[in-house]
Amino acid sequence: MILYDYILSPDCYKVRLLAALTGTKITLRPVDFHPGGEHKTATFLAMNPSGTIPIFEDDGLILTESSAILTYLAAKTGPTWLGDDTPEMRGRVAQWLAFSQRLSASIGKARVHDMLNKPADIEACRKAGTQCLREIEAALVDQRLAGHDFLAGDRPTIADLACFPHSMLAPDGGISVDPYPSIRLWTRRVRALPGFIEMPGIHRLHDLKPEPGPIPERV
Amino acid sequence: MPQNWTAVALSRDVPPQVVIPTVVEGRELAVWRSQSGRIAAWEDRCPHRGMRLSHGFVRGEALSCIYHGWSYNEAGLCQRIPAHPDLVPPDAIRVPTLTAAESDGIIWVTAESTDRPPPKMPGFTPLRSLTVEVPASTITAVSASPIGEDGDLRLALAGIACLLLVQPLPGDRTALHALVAAGTSPTAQASVSRALEDLRHQAETERQAA
Repeated sequence: MILYDYILSPDCYKVRLLAALTGTKITLRPVDFHPGGEHKTATFLAMNPSGTIPIFEDDGLILTESSAILTYLAAKTGPTWLGDDTPEMRGRVAQWLAFSQRLSASIGKARVHDMLNKPADIEACRKAGTQCLREIEAALVDQRLAGHDFLAGDRPTIADLACFPHSMLAPDGGISVDPYPSIRLWTRRVRALPGFIEMPGIHRLHDLKPEPGPIPERV
Repeated sequence: MPQNWTAVALSRDVPPQVVIPTVVEGRELAVWRSQSGRIAAWEDRCPHRGMRLSHGFVRGEALSCIYHGWSYNEAGLCQRIPAHPDLVPPDAIRVPTLTAAESDGIIWVTAESTDRPPPKMPGFTPLRSLTVEVPASTITAVSASPIGEDGDLRLALAGIACLLLVQPLPGDRTALHALVAAGTSPTAQASVSRALEDLRHQAETERQAA
């Protein structure tokens, strides 16, 4: 399994994260996304005519949409991550996988505008991004009232992995995440999962590790 | 008697080892809960390099800065500098602290010294907090309800008695900490949550029209 990868891409990170959480080895091929624009070269366009990353390759199969990659990788390496216990849960997972496209189109776009100087209607992106975060917050309140800790049920699924990276990286695009207490606790739950890995802007929970040394004594 | 406590969060939203940013009377604060459950409200700036302490992390009874790991004990005194592990930091390295207290599942902060305990909200249970991009005056106009001396705004949402604790934020924004009548079922609470979204929508639409 090969992932054509860019370290700063939330959509690539989702795939790396699921692989880490399921203990799956995947081969990473770094793409010079910026400034090289390697994903727009003929070689890459031959694999993915839409000129985007991630690109995922396994045994002749090529997938280029992060939600599709998550679905395939989960089905192959950790089916509990699919969240298909009941029709309802399956529906919720599909809902959030589709929703994650709106996150990429708003927060994702605002982020590459601010970080990599890509053109965008930045105010429209931020407004749409804020609306997405409000919807996630409200949904997490509903889930809590129903006794569930995660987007699709009482355990993490690919729905959470699809939506969690942009929810944390919004400040990179000038979108505040301060007003969302339920998102804050949910992203902490995801980061507390065994096998969790970081990306720039999404760090591990330092509070889970002990103090690296003794506290010097005051005399 | 003037109100001197401000509601900043639901207790549930700041469990042990969590730190959140907020603003009280124009002062940026880090509100955090230690492992043993103690709540604190500090100035949101590390004395070392000015990094927001609300980006930091909680180990035991101390809050640490994310930048260089300087950690501060419950009094706000720097207790450890990781790059100089044997140094006892001087007392001058200290984070200004405010008074934080909890009452009925709400975290209250005051910038003044006070003997008065935080307000009680008998008969209500906390539901959720949300931020509205309008000043508090727009909320009172849209809900047609005045704000009481404890920052409390009483109204019915989805037919259920509710109480909103109003926290003014900079930039003409307002945080609402919503409580519902005790004993309200989870399903009805979800309806109130949606009614709150609608109240926000009305207030922000009103603001744009004005």
